[in-house]
Amino acid sequence: MKSLLLSFFLCLASITMYSQTNEIQGTVSDKSGNPLPGVSIVVKNTTNGVTTDFDGNFTLPKIQSGETLIFSYLGFVSKEIVVSSFKAMTVVLEDDTQSLEEVVVIGYGTQKVSQISGAVSTVNSKSVEILKPVRAEDALQGQASGVNVISSGSPGAKPTVLIRGIGSSSGNDPLVVIDGVTQTLDDLNSLNPSDIESMSVLKDAALTAIYGVSGGSGVIVVKTKSGKRSGKTTFSFDSSYGIQEVTKTIPVLNASEYAAILNEASSNAGEGIIFDDISSLGAGTNWQDEVLIDAPIITNNITAAGGSENTSFFLSGGYLMQDGVVGGGDKSYFNRANVTANFNTNLSEKFVFIANTSYANIKSAGLSENNIGSVLSNALNFDPMVSPYDANGKFGISETITQEIKNPLALIDNTYNKGNTNKFFGKLELEYDIIDNLKVSTRFGYTYTDVYGKNFTPLQYYGIGHNSTSANEDLSPIISVDPDTGDITSTHNRISESRTNYFNFTYELFGNYNFKIQDNHNFDIVLGLSVAKNTGNSITANAEDIPFNSWDYADVSAATGDAESQTSGSWQYVKRNNSVFTRINYDYDDKYLFSFTGRRDGSTSFGKNNKFAFFPSASLGWIISHENFFQSSAVSFLKIRGSYGSVGNDNISPQFATISTFPKYTFDGNIVSGSTLQSIPNDDVTWENQVQYNVGVDARFIDSKINLTAEYFKKTVDDLLFNPTLSLYLGTPEYPTANIGSTESSGYEISLGYNDTYGDDFNLNTNVNFTTIENKVTAINNGDKFIDGAGYGIPYTTLTRFEEGYAPFYFYGYKTDGIFQNQSEIDGHATQNGAAPGDIRYVDVNEDGVVDGEDRTQIGDPYADFMIGWNLALNYKNFDFNAFVYASVGGDVYRAYERNLNYTNRFAGTLDRWTGEGTSNSEPRVTFVDTNNNRRVSDRYVEDGSYVRLKNIQLGYTLPENLYETSGFSNVRFYVQVKNAVTFTDYSGYDPEISSGVSDTGIDRGSYPQPRVWSMGVNVKF
Amino acid sequence: MKFFKHIITASAILFIGQSCSDYVDYDPIENFQITADVYFQSANDYEAAVIGTYDPLQWMYLNILIGDIASDNSLSGGETATDVIGLQQIDNMTHNPSNDNLTSIWKWCYEGINRANYLEQNKNKIAFDRKEALYGEVYFLRAYYYFELVKLFGDVPLFTTNRLTATDSKSLQRVPASEVYAQIEADLKNAAKVLPTSQSQKGRATKYAAQALLGKVYLYQDKFTEAASEFEKVIGNFTLVSDYGSQFLKAGENGSESVFEVQHSNTSNWYDWGFTPQGTEGNFGIIHNGPRAFGGPIYASGWSFNVPTADLYNSFEDGDSRKDASILDIVAFAQETGATYAEGYKHTGYFNNKYIPRAGESGAQTELNYLTNYRSIRYADVLLMAAEANVRAAAPNVAKAQNYLDLVRDRAFGDTEHRVTATRQAIWAERNFELSMEGHRFFDLVRTKQAASKINGFVDGKHDVFPIPQQEVDISGLTQNSGY
Repeated sequence: MKSLLLSFFLCLASITMYSQTNEIQGTVSDKSGNPLPGVSIVVKNTTNGVTTDFDGNFTLPKIQSGETLIFSYLGFVSKEIVVSSFKAMTVVLEDDTQSLEEVVVIGYGTQKVSQISGAVSTVNSKSVEILKPVRAEDALQGQASGVNVISSGSPGAKPTVLIRGIGSSSGNDPLVVIDGVTQTLDDLNSLNPSDIESMSVLKDAALTAIYGVSGGSGVIVVKTKSGKRSGKTTFSFDSSYGIQEVTKTIPVLNASEYAAILNEASSNAGEGIIFDDISSLGAGTNWQDEVLIDAPIITNNITAAGGSENTSFFLSGGYLMQDGVVGGGDKSYFNRANVTANFNTNLSEKFVFIANTSYANIKSAGLSENNIGSVLSNALNFDPMVSPYDANGKFGISETITQEIKNPLALIDNTYNKGNTNKFFGKLELEYDIIDNLKVSTRFGYTYTDVYGKNFTPLQYYGIGHNSTSANEDLSPIISVDPDTGDITSTHNRISESRTNYFNFTYELFGNYNFKIQDNHNFDIVLGLSVAKNTGNSITANAEDIPFNSWDYADVSAATGDAESQTSGSWQYVKRNNSVFTRINYDYDDKYLFSFTGRRDGSTSFGKNNKFAFFPSASLGWIISHENFFQSSAVSFLKIRGSYGSVGNDNISPQFATISTFPKYTFDGNIVSGSTLQSIPNDDVTWENQVQYNVGVDARFIDSKINLTAEYFKKTVDDLLFNPTLSLYLGTPEYPTANIGSTESSGYEISLGYNDTYGDDFNLNTNVNFTTIENKVTAINNGDKFIDGAGYGIPYTTLTRFEEGYAPFYFYGYKTDGIFQNQSEIDGHATQNGAAPGDIRYVDVNEDGVVDGEDRTQIGDPYADFMIGWNLALNYKNFDFNAFVYASVGGDVYRAYERNLNYTNRFAGTLDRWTGEGTSNSEPRVTFVDTNNNRRVSDRYVEDGSYVRLKNIQLGYTLPENLYETSGFSNVRFYVQVKNAVTFTDYSGYDPEISSGVSDTGIDRGSYPQPRVWSMGVNVKF
Repeated sequence: MKFFKHIITASAILFIGQSCSDYVDYDPIENFQITADVYFQSANDYEAAVIGTYDPLQWMYLNILIGDIASDNSLSGGETATDVIGLQQIDNMTHNPSNDNLTSIWKWCYEGINRANYLEQNKNKIAFDRKEALYGEVYFLRAYYYFELVKLFGDVPLFTTNRLTATDSKSLQRVPASEVYAQIEADLKNAAKVLPTSQSQKGRATKYAAQALLGKVYLYQDKFTEAASEFEKVIGNFTLVSDYGSQFLKAGENGSESVFEVQHSNTSNWYDWGFTPQGTEGNFGIIHNGPRAFGGPIYASGWSFNVPTADLYNSFEDGDSRKDASILDIVAFAQETGATYAEGYKHTGYFNNKYIPRAGESGAQTELNYLTNYRSIRYADVLLMAAEANVRAAAPNVAKAQNYLDLVRDRAFGDTEHRVTATRQAIWAERNFELSMEGHRFFDLVRTKQAASKINGFVDGKHDVFPIPQQEVDISGLTQNSGY
């Protein structure tokens, strides 16, 4: 290389001496130094031109100084250079992320961004690389407008992803399409984010209707990387190491405060004090400090990409290791290994064969989280007087808490599980170029998943009489002798192993044909068929009596329990779809755009009488800036567009009248199996039918330095699938799902970007996107006008509702109105049974003079009103800086982690409780006999969950090339990164971002907070 | 490259050739599901469906708890004033239509009725040997569930021909209790006609069970003559056990005094709290009655609900063996054995010794798997009901009544020195000595019009029945009981 360059210089030097008209040579590369083959170089205002060769080299003869050369290449910013000397040129083209020629991957094809008349957001590989998400969908948060991603801090956990709101109560996961193969959101946990070339989020019916019944919740189209034909083989390696930490603890009472409060609660109930001497108790144990641990996260990826004349390839291997911040890496981890091989080869001139294969292995273990039995819930509510360990090194035991709540360290210690997932996914595809511009593709896409799980419940001890205790203090089984019969029974440890297989495939055959009529009429037509089958089956085995009560021996094969203790179970499902689809894109002279899409779907999920449905959509666009009359120096591109169409949702299982053989009874002391009718069919059940319209504008200003996309959409979903509320005298079978509700969602999405280069060294790229969303349930045609969502606590209390006239899954409970200061206030208030001075005053919402269940009302809405994402990228010489801020505003959070039982620990607010008239108007008295039920679901536990979070901040430095010129490296970059660096919120819990399913969102039962991650890493290309 | 062209052509043909609708048809057998269409083809299917109809008997623990908590016998207890709030309200006579526990009872009784009706609906599909006697069990069970409903709620929707389906939702209204009683009587008469006097499997309903329940149903309607004559058919076919307390222990299950007993087992190893009591074979009522955080011999920890009052404990005469067999004096027990426990809400110092967690009688998930059967109809109960019917009948037979009462008291005291005259009041009092903490007291007090005088907060004409669940009122448009 060095000698080659030297000879260039020598050569050029000799040439310049002769003439002003001369040959010019040079190389063109991208920013990372990769040579770009096929770059077009034209002498301005002439037809003279050449393209670069495989190594990015070019030679232009007969050039005069002062002429301008235009370098252009798809996906890069074109560059004009005035020839001033005939030295060899080294031209670097900048990536053009906002290029008008940029194409996006849509269903069954690609389309130029400039010609799209539907709504799409894209995230490219660069954003993914910078964000370094564990799961690919995390990279959509705040990057793609119209998408609401709510993540959990739990290693590898699936976030809630909502594209344009909550249309349905039966499933809102978007469809995921990876390289044309349909998958599910759950499958994204096995995709290595660094393999992603681009992600397109298809939002409106114009783009999703091609997926018909699967497109109702939007579509995430992922394209993985591939090599370039005739390109040099390039390698890249990147590695990072990070430490995760939880930055916040929730203020709880310390030991002496706890004892004092308990004494007061007891005496308020007319009972004696519990602790005589509280002065000696001190601070005791803050259990949060015991269970929150700084934990590492490590990623390593290596890729190779390249190709020969007829073949290209992309190979990658990745390894991710994430330990949990709650409980630490022994019991909570997510380790993923990925291998991807994408091949693309010309079998002949007409045939292209594509084989994409990915393998993922995920090893994981987890602790209970975001529920009443979770580690954090126990840590927040457990007795602070207990030491983590007693004098003998055993786990400390509470004198006062004897039910449900445990020493969280003991809980961690007694949790043993592991999962091992092996997954293959990919496609085999054959493309046949029948004639120019007419291509037929046949594609077989597959996902095979094998999930193994093991769960061991050892004999455990939490104190005598504790309801979770199953062993004596020495962890031997508790042997009981029936005093009457002399029968002996014993407690047992338990092991459960399960193996689940999923196999999903789609087989598709489709043709793409694009042609012109009379130069100006451009058509791009897709027509195809699809057959899909999803199957799953699982088998579970359970046994008792693992030797030595030890995880080391925990396996069904090692269990010594009797035959009766060995049980098994299995399940399976199958779902099939077949479909035909078409899309016609037409434009006239690149000014007037029209698109029609239709898909006819059949599904096994639906009733006999409604097996098929048709989903059409159409869109129109007008590129005003291409009109001759449009002359504006400021506006370089302007397009308005609109779409209207329908899509669906088939998230239900096939229905029929099943006989269940589950019911059992006991005769002669032996259990005998019975039967009953389990479910009632509905032969008319059909798809949820969603109708959406979308209007938008795309514009670029000042030489495309500023770009703007703004849209408004409204969608209505009819025939929502529900299990209706039927008369209770029907008994307890599974009621048939029926189409009985409607919702309406609307919102604005705006994204604004600015990209500019100042001088040679400084580049600034920033964009802001803004998403608003308003959801409303417009009809529920069951008797109640609502269905219950999720809840919390023991006994389980429903908190969220999906109700006509309200936002989906809003919080439903009592409104509070301060504290009763004295008896006369109680007497003056609506009848509130059991209330005493110091208790919470609940609002008599229906004004019937009684506070009862009828007074419950809307006390919160967990979903944000709007979200903002702001990205900033600065490049200065060899330094690069990236920052990403995300804000979610208007969502509420419910503090469901507070147990407030008699002996549980309380929260710091309790210190300001009511102790007499005028002492508090917000915190009720403490008492062991809470006849007013101050713990009931009320707005007392609802907080504003709005937050602004500096999600990512990264500083990188690329080593100057001269440092490693001879080493074979082409690019070496080091970086430091902080994720979740700062969060601004008024929420008093760990983290206002709480994800656990659509109906559960915003209920903080001790949710796993998102840790702050400090990391550093290196990217190397060679 | 013709090969690839052929692949594409072949797959296109395959595609188009394949009938679209066949591919998306679904047959439940693909997932090994048995459907109603293929069921009731053999006697075994019928036997299984009858077992399925027995199943809801095991879910009735709340009915039994309420029988004493609502009465003067026991207090709600639990951990706190809000622990199972439905029961707390019932104890305080402040219950209202939004009571989860009453809603559960309503649904579970109707599930039992629907399961019985499903057999009725499919009765004529095939013929087999044991069919008639088997349907005797079905009618007995349907009567049992309707009787629970009518005792608790008064007028209720009545249907007998088939299992209701979605289209029947909201189609029914409440009918007068008298009509429900008429159906119960008809079912029990039909059952008594065909049921054998003894069953090879313990736990199945017998002719005597049907007759005893029919007598009880008559008694609840003040049809004393009919009641007396039904009880007469049962009396003489059972014997009182000599040791009163022994019949409530494991060894005493299905003993000589047991006329009908709801069966439980601890061997199903049930773990799923979310589907309890429906899933478990254990008796979920038992854990409710135990002392909290108990450490000591014989008993096991529980949730301290349904705690007997000191008044009840002290009401027993000296020498009555039923006193300590019925009620555990935990203070005395702890002193004697060194056992430890924690006091719950409304702690009285007493626990229900008949239905209490006993060490070693549950499965691995101790709360959910107690093996204790519920002695639904005991012979002693039949004798006392017969005594009452004979005393209150239009043509009283006091001698008979005296004889039956004496049998019960003699067994209790182990001698004949403690007999009392068989007056109506004496028989009523005796019922509570004999049957306290077995879930009968509240219904006896209501039936005998003593409730208002014995139960604090009880309002005549309101609390005689419980409110129809609000959910059902809302969904089905049912009328509410007066006062709620």
